[in-house]
Amino acid sequence: MPNPIKPEKSVITTCAYCGVGCGFKAETRGEKIVRMIPWKEGKANHGHSCIKGRFAYDYYNAPDRVLTPLIRASIDDPWKAVSWQEAFAYAASEFKRIQAKFGVKSIGAVSSSRCTNEEIFLTQKLARAVLGNNNIDNCARICHSPTQFGLTQTIGAGAASQHFDSILQADVIMIVGANPTEGHPVFGSMMKRRIREGAKLIVIDPRKTETVESAHCRADVHLAIRPGTNVAILDSIAHVIVREKLYNEAFVRARCEVAEFDNWKALVGDDKYAPEVIGPIANVDPADIRRAARLYAGGPNSTIYYGLGVTEHSQGSTGVMCLGNLGLSCGMLGREGVGVNPLRGQGNVQGGSCLGSWPHVFSGYRFVTDQATRSSFEAEWGVTLDAEPGLRLPNMLDAAVAGSFKGMYIMGEDPVQSDPNQHHVIAAMKNMECVVLHDLFLNETSKYAHVFFPGSSSLEKDGTFTNAERRVSRVRKVIEPLAGLQDWEITVKFMNALGYELSYDNPGEVLDEIARLSPNYSGMSFALIDQIGSAQWPCNKDAPQGTEVLHREKFPRANGLGTFMLTEYVPTAERTSDRFPLLLTTGRILTQYNVGTQTRRTPNSLWHPEDVLEINEQDATARGLQDGDWVQLASRFGQIQLRARISKRVNPGVVYTTFHHAKSKANAVTSDLSDWATNCPEYKVTAVDVVRIRAPAETESFEAARLEATE
Amino acid sequence: MAQTHSQTQGAEMPVMALDRILSMANQIGDFFAPYPPERRAEGIRNHLRTYWDPRMRDQLLQHIAAGGAGLAAPVIAGARLLQDESHAKPGYYGPPKA
Repeated sequence: MPNPIKPEKSVITTCAYCGVGCGFKAETRGEKIVRMIPWKEGKANHGHSCIKGRFAYDYYNAPDRVLTPLIRASIDDPWKAVSWQEAFAYAASEFKRIQAKFGVKSIGAVSSSRCTNEEIFLTQKLARAVLGNNNIDNCARICHSPTQFGLTQTIGAGAASQHFDSILQADVIMIVGANPTEGHPVFGSMMKRRIREGAKLIVIDPRKTETVESAHCRADVHLAIRPGTNVAILDSIAHVIVREKLYNEAFVRARCEVAEFDNWKALVGDDKYAPEVIGPIANVDPADIRRAARLYAGGPNSTIYYGLGVTEHSQGSTGVMCLGNLGLSCGMLGREGVGVNPLRGQGNVQGGSCLGSWPHVFSGYRFVTDQATRSSFEAEWGVTLDAEPGLRLPNMLDAAVAGSFKGMYIMGEDPVQSDPNQHHVIAAMKNMECVVLHDLFLNETSKYAHVFFPGSSSLEKDGTFTNAERRVSRVRKVIEPLAGLQDWEITVKFMNALGYELSYDNPGEVLDEIARLSPNYSGMSFALIDQIGSAQWPCNKDAPQGTEVLHREKFPRANGLGTFMLTEYVPTAERTSDRFPLLLTTGRILTQYNVGTQTRRTPNSLWHPEDVLEINEQDATARGLQDGDWVQLASRFGQIQLRARISKRVNPGVVYTTFHHAKSKANAVTSDLSDWATNCPEYKVTAVDVVRIRAPAETESFEAARLEATE
Repeated sequence: MAQTHSQTQGAEMPVMALDRILSMANQIGDFFAPYPPERRAEGIRNHLRTYWDPRMRDQLLQHIAAGGAGLAAPVIAGARLLQDESHAKPGYYGPPKA
């Protein structure tokens, strides 16, 4: 008998999970994927993989995958299965009706970092050229928008300065608000390799993460800060660097705006940022702040990697600027082994950021208010474009609640589950007259949607992803799209139905259009990537095969110099109180991914069947809690129920959970506070209390199971 | 397409709740607080001009015209620069250019 899992065909593609973007050989038998083999030529992963990319691919074939377009006039009606043509026509007529009644700006679009570069670019084209406004955002809004903002202000490029392999030259590795051994495992393994070779490790994280201590990994300094004090602690590290004169004056004089450096020195050098002052505020030993500062400044090669523990705060952008300031002050930019690098959560967060899926910038972070940039797009697209910034995703939801925003095209996103302050999001959704959802599954948001376009998984389409090191790799179609159309085709046909004529033979032509309109991508093409495997932007006539390390000679700012921003610590408005005495923070686990839409539909759930609440023994004892008890976790915004786990990984006063399961509804408790510059939500700090409860009644767990099944 | 339709119906209605506008504006003011007054005002202006939907700016300016209750003084100073043509400059990244 022939072996039913023996592959007949192999296609090289890119993993769609985290921002590492591993190369894989997807192997099929008939129209079924039988295994994913890490590709040894993949420049991000060199033949390695994690438990998600390697095994969690079966979601594409899940029984609840939607394969037919659906429409309904009201969210109280049942869905009606229709043809693609009917779905496009209905959605287009609704959008036109709404714009005629409520104005051009009453509609917007949101793309996702799970989409390819080409799809993200097409979605912003749909908003700008077809809907006629700049109400276009993407889900990086709620994770790494502060990265784009904060890094662009200081070092001129909202992207990782290094390629992943650079860490193999690092002597000191500083990890801030990230847990790469769990969240970015293939990169985490490379980091561990360098630590085994003797590199020093500094971790700034409220929780004693697996990166702080696990096999082959032990932090030399762990600053277990109180959630919400990132900027205070980073300014205090800068204070030590300034007062002990550990900065690299030659680098600053040659490469930076010296007057701004002096202003920065005056601010962070002030006594108010001394470790002895900040230590008690951040709940860390002042001596450890000094050790961290001396280690980082001492190098000789020191590098920073950071994650959502920096960005998802009311001072998220300020925290990112702190990291840019630190890198510049110590001359830790512009060569291998150093740098400031965001670790991106989803496979294509960097692409989502690069390609103009923002209400205020076109691709390459060029402002929509800039006439010359706008003209180049107008010439290519043959329409006049809106010269004013549009609404950001949280502003769209605010505007929907107020009644001024009535319709949305959502591609590959689940705002009801993913966005903060769930009750507010649901109120916004209910207030809209036409929500068009484009996804694989009927997710939480689908309960409030009027049109459903059944999308294609990354195994069913062609395109490119840009990973966290700016590497553009091919996504290749492994099997035919189950619902008949690739995602990029769906967006194009929707644009056609809205009255905008355009067509592409393949998404390579979309990448060609991106290249014509985006300086950093000007040398990118399917042909180049097919030839050399992958290329990191900037990829242009000066760097025809791409660029591994940024900022070698100068910074991409008008005068070529790096600059310093003043980063005063402003405590978040989210405070503990008698009623909510604990701070909740969140994170991820190795085997699951984000809100679990994909991984929960695979056997990976055997490793992580539910989200639990980690609580310190002292706080548990004070509440009469034992390991495994059910608890109610309540904040000002709502409450959820989950099981408690007594853990030494969190300090007294701090509790922690993951957010992989829809049934735990973590965003029912998160607050409405957001980053001052970008509106990135403050997911990482919520004042809560924990109360022991009896195990949920049978009916409730049945309800939870039902929710989980339909999500 | 819908470009030709009037936006007046939208304009009569505030784009979003005023308290959201005020808290966002005050947060921006807090960030620029360490800069000297002229640069602080310009930093706030540049941010509002390049990142805020014009309807949000209008709502802020209308509230300022009505007294600006609940707004920090530097935020009012920065927002007022939006109305001063001589202060208009192209959007930029980096420290405020006074």
